[in-house]
Amino acid sequence: MRRLSARMTLSRRRAYEGVAFVAPWLVGFLAFMAFPLAYSFYMSFTNVKVGPTSIELKWKGVGNYVYAFLSDNVFPVELMSFFQQSLLIVPIIVVFSLIVGLMLNSETWGRPLFRAVFFLPVIFSTSQVVLSLFNRGAGRIAFLDRFSVAEIVNTSLPDRWAGPVLAVLDRITLVLWYSGVQILLVLAALKTINRTVYEAAAIDGAGRWEVFWKITLPALTPFIVLNTVYTIVDLSTYPFNPILESIRRSMFDVRTGMGYAAAQGWTYFSIVLLVLAAVCAFGMRNVWRQE
Amino acid sequence: MERRQRAMHSDSGSIAVGLPLRKTVVNSLLRLKHWLLGTGMRTGVAGKALVTLLLIDIGFVYLYPVLYMVSTMMMTLNDLVDPTVIWVPTEICLENISIAFIGMEYMQGLAQSALVSIVGAVAQAFTCALAGYGLSRYHFRGRNLVFAMVLLTFIVPPQTIIIPLFLLNRHLGWLNTNWALVVPEMFGLGLKGALFVIIYRQFFLGLPSSLDEAARLDGAGGFAVFTRVMLPISKPAILVVSLFSVVWHWNDYYLPTMLVSDQKKWSLVRRLHGLGAALDEIYGVNEYGMSRFSEPIEMAGAFLVILPILLLYLIAQRWFTEGIERTGLVE
Repeated sequence: MRRLSARMTLSRRRAYEGVAFVAPWLVGFLAFMAFPLAYSFYMSFTNVKVGPTSIELKWKGVGNYVYAFLSDNVFPVELMSFFQQSLLIVPIIVVFSLIVGLMLNSETWGRPLFRAVFFLPVIFSTSQVVLSLFNRGAGRIAFLDRFSVAEIVNTSLPDRWAGPVLAVLDRITLVLWYSGVQILLVLAALKTINRTVYEAAAIDGAGRWEVFWKITLPALTPFIVLNTVYTIVDLSTYPFNPILESIRRSMFDVRTGMGYAAAQGWTYFSIVLLVLAAVCAFGMRNVWRQE
Repeated sequence: MERRQRAMHSDSGSIAVGLPLRKTVVNSLLRLKHWLLGTGMRTGVAGKALVTLLLIDIGFVYLYPVLYMVSTMMMTLNDLVDPTVIWVPTEICLENISIAFIGMEYMQGLAQSALVSIVGAVAQAFTCALAGYGLSRYHFRGRNLVFAMVLLTFIVPPQTIIIPLFLLNRHLGWLNTNWALVVPEMFGLGLKGALFVIIYRQFFLGLPSSLDEAARLDGAGGFAVFTRVMLPISKPAILVVSLFSVVWHWNDYYLPTMLVSDQKKWSLVRRLHGLGAALDEIYGVNEYGMSRFSEPIEMAGAFLVILPILLLYLIAQRWFTEGIERTGLVE
């Protein structure tokens, strides 16, 4: 009995220790994440008047959201266009990183060199450096001009899609530049597959094609989902994300103010959340089915 | 089958030495095939060549903007307007670099960027490790809730919380000071802090728990186990986290622009933007909103901004890519 209670207090002490380890982060979370998140949510339903030292919030209901979609003639268009672009960018990045990861993992010459090259963009995909490079058209691929892809896209796609498709094509290198971390994830994931599985498959007479579809790809599925999630999150700070600029604009605009800017931020976040939930649900189902 | 055998037979019959010769020819052809296309799981030379070629192609697309930047920044105005000059300037002009250096007040910017990046990275490398360790080695009520908070923090876009952050910093009097940029990092939040907590957690989960148990039996307390046993063997994870943190802090544009608007405290990245705007004012802009003539200077500026980070990467490159694999970031 005494020993049991001693163990109880020991395990409780261990639990307190664990809480102590997490405590600094929790304090930071409350101050720099939970509070700002809740406050901006509240703000998005108010009219904010900022004085030199004071802040005055006046309840307004869903007015800001109504304004965003019914009166503002820039924000919904920008939002729509960005999500259309994302719909193209995310699959491009995920598939591209998968292919490059597989190639970098295969036996080639000069692997370390290629690895260094493909990781380089992570180092300086600075919004500003990137913007000055890409505003000069350095992010375009020459053949897009040569085969007048723009005309083909414009004539063969409906107007609603031609713009986003061209915007993505125009910055295709930048899009590929955003796959540095994802390529690393694929490489690390490939390391987790046991080599003996491949050997067994080879002995059973499986070809490389079959091995890819039946062993490599299923093993990578969770990481493909992970890459999709990472890419979607990463796109929030993509330098061409119009929401960044649009919030800054409304924040210091007398007519709209911070309440409206908060509503814009939350609109964006809600859509991202919905998309992420869909991706995770889809991913979970597939991963679970495999097991 | 039979016919082939018969044909072979008649063939070999016509030449007395046919069979061994044919055998060696077939064998060497087979070997050639295996050499080219590979056997079983081994890649042949043709496959290798194909993959290498593809990698070179994609690598070129990747490097194109960088090559463009380096080539353009060395050009004189004459080279710039001369249609015969493509890629290689007629003379190497380093004047653009010195103009950009002075125009950005480079040393001030370097000090600012380095300060925020290094302090932010050191803080995150330590506090995120604390949280990651607590989440991976201890069982306490609400642990899953805390981890859910970490995941939430990871997905919240910075633009959604920027206004309260701005007001909070104003209230605390931290606007236009570096505190606004490094204090969240000291709690393991800030720029991508949640991601680092996740990385550390995964890393510690991959380490055998017998390590800490042994230290505990020797009488070490929780914090001592962490600092004396766990941190020394966590070098790959610490390296990856601090390098990523330095790079991302260096490159961050959004938070510094929103929270630190004082021109003296501009980071290098912010200064590059300022340089571009100033150049556009001097040279005027065309219908695309930019000036062709200021391009070499702006490219030189961009080069100067990424130069320190590039050097860091060249030094740490090997540990960087290897470390990521060893962190067991993915389990």
